[in-house]
Amino acid sequence: MEGPLKELSKLDKLTEKTSKGKGPSIENSLDALLQSLREAKKRIETGNASEDTFALLAQTVDAKKKEVDEKQKEIYNGIARLGKALDKKFTQSLPTYDPLFASEASRTALERTIALHLLRTGQFATAETFIEECGMDIAPELRAQFIDLHRILTALKNEDISPALEWSRKNRTFLRSRSSPLEFHLHRSQYMRLLLSSRPSSSQPAISYANATLRPFYSEHAAEINRLMNCTIYINKLEFSPYADLASPSLHCDLQPLFAKEYCASLGMSRQVPLRVVGDIGGGGALARIEKARTVMKERKSEWSQTDELPIEIPLPPENRYHSIFACPVSKEQSTEQNPPMMMTCGHVVTKESLQKLSKSNGRVKCPYCPAESNATDALAVHF
Amino acid sequence: MSSGKLNIDGVMLFEQPFARVPYENYRKVFRASQRNIERELGNVQTTSNDLLKRCKSNEDNAEDTAKAIDGMIGRVENLKRKLGELQDTAGRPTLDVTRERLHHLAAVEALHSASGPDFSRWADTRLDRWLVDWALRSGREKTARKLAQEKDIETLVDIELFADIRRIEDALSRHSCTEALVWCSENKTALRKMKNTLEFELRLQEYIELTRARKTQEAIAYSKKHLVPWQDTHLKQILQASILLAILPSTSCGQYRRLYDTSRWSSLIQAFRLAIYSLNTLPTEPLLNLALYSGLASLKLPSCYDSAKNVDCPVCDPCIKSLADEVPFSHHANSTIVCRLSGKIMDEDNMPMVFPNGNVYSREVLQEMAMKNNGKVTCPQTGDTCEFTALKKVFIS
Repeated sequence: MEGPLKELSKLDKLTEKTSKGKGPSIENSLDALLQSLREAKKRIETGNASEDTFALLAQTVDAKKKEVDEKQKEIYNGIARLGKALDKKFTQSLPTYDPLFASEASRTALERTIALHLLRTGQFATAETFIEECGMDIAPELRAQFIDLHRILTALKNEDISPALEWSRKNRTFLRSRSSPLEFHLHRSQYMRLLLSSRPSSSQPAISYANATLRPFYSEHAAEINRLMNCTIYINKLEFSPYADLASPSLHCDLQPLFAKEYCASLGMSRQVPLRVVGDIGGGGALARIEKARTVMKERKSEWSQTDELPIEIPLPPENRYHSIFACPVSKEQSTEQNPPMMMTCGHVVTKESLQKLSKSNGRVKCPYCPAESNATDALAVHF
Repeated sequence: MSSGKLNIDGVMLFEQPFARVPYENYRKVFRASQRNIERELGNVQTTSNDLLKRCKSNEDNAEDTAKAIDGMIGRVENLKRKLGELQDTAGRPTLDVTRERLHHLAAVEALHSASGPDFSRWADTRLDRWLVDWALRSGREKTARKLAQEKDIETLVDIELFADIRRIEDALSRHSCTEALVWCSENKTALRKMKNTLEFELRLQEYIELTRARKTQEAIAYSKKHLVPWQDTHLKQILQASILLAILPSTSCGQYRRLYDTSRWSSLIQAFRLAIYSLNTLPTEPLLNLALYSGLASLKLPSCYDSAKNVDCPVCDPCIKSLADEVPFSHHANSTIVCRLSGKIMDEDNMPMVFPNGNVYSREVLQEMAMKNNGKVTCPQTGDTCEFTALKKVFIS
């Protein structure tokens, strides 16, 4: 953005009242003109006006007009230069598409997605305005759930774990089924806070807290609980001890994303905000790549062979890979439910159709990747 | 793309209108100041030359001269005030907005990684901007204003531009061309450069309305004044328009019925929208839709539609899925095996392991499970339990 910013600051200087460009500012020129006019007026009033007065006045008017025009021209050129700098910076314009998501069903789905996004990100006032403006129907329970989520998150931010703890107790079965450490981590945060905030420093309040709360977690988090107990020896110099990680603030602030993740999972919602994820992928290069492919294909005068699949692969970061994709190394085709991946006894995997093609009449298959030979019927259908 | 690297070109593809809209606004302010200067100073110049001439030919009288000078003073003072006002209320604020937006873009250019909190904040704001743009285009103006206000991003969104578009479009749907014609004359040069003929279409419509009302004389005068100047490029339409004088609105003749057809008004609205969008380099579709289209197409897989649903996958979200119906599937040439328990990609360092029942999970997760359960592992899909040692490594080539 350097080019446009440089031109912008030049333009800024040109239009300031105390002009830095060539010649006086427009305001100064106009002031000078006014002064000449007033002088002429005085002469006329005192009867001293002669032909010279008017000749001089006409001359001044011409000169000042020229000054102003030149200044305007200078500014105009400055604007044009800024425009050129922008042209240079943005060489590609956004593509034109037929109306997207225009069907009634898509429109409603998009509105609902946006409403849920606003609620989920805690923008309740905006969400209310939006829901009302669209005349949308959002179940009050759903709204209440999001309000609850943000109430608990705000409490966590303010170092109050009790609402989060209360929720965790109510949802203990769910959390256990996911082997989520949430409840333990909440207690751990409280324990460390008690330990480090005691004045004069004493491990007593923390230890009694641990006694009262941590026992049920011992079977699952034994090693961690032992460390929590042991670190009390270093109470005054924890940062310089083998337990320094327990003094880190992330022990407390990581609770917020962890809680949001578990809370959303309990409602069957994703760990990331879906609209952000999709938008970041689209706005982070995907559209540019799709457009490039489209242009190249147009130049070659070929159409997308399969209109229902992109002609190119859009690279995705690992955190955005949500499903396994198995491309058969023999046929290069993606596996489907009808054509599942099959693992031969040697551990190599091909799709079912490829396996059938590879098998000889006696039902034996020679693995294309290793010397092993096995029975086609011994191959196991695998689910990724 | 590794997870961290930021694709700046891909990001910037969306940002041209963001920088261009305030720039075009500033050009408009400049043209307004130019018009004022030309009018007032031109007038002052004529008056002063006039005075000189009259003085030379001794036709002057003191009273008239004093009046003329007063008039000139008044004009220059007026001009000075107007220019000052323009600069304070429009010029300076517009330049400030331009600067703020360019800095906003410079901030993301300076980032190298897409994974840090800095980018995350930037992307949050970007999504808010897209939502406002979407809301403004979809007639959700209250939401747009509220969102912009709550997030304090009013200078980063174009509420006024869209309010202006709405105002002019509303006028067109009330069958009034006046507002749109004013806009055309404000942007004459730019429209001419784009070879845009919106103005002709608007003029033609006003003419048609005169013939519809059977105001023949007025229609002829209007045509002479406003249509004939376009004869170099639009002769055929002008001739057709002249014939229209002889034809009643109730005609059944195709080409003339089309001219009288009131659906011409909705095409005018379309044409106007297209003109003002392309003047500001705004795409015809909301930015949000473009981002969603390409984002969904990058993610969409057949698995999103079968039993392998994953709550973390945006496409598997029931609302978003109906949007994804409109976009193509993503394309993949190579295998990527994702652990259904940890969500991590499995590779040589985190091998896929298969249960005797065929379900595959990552070694890391299964090892941890075995450690906690005396070497036993349980398949979460089926509840089958076996020894960790009974699992087999899977080789994906």
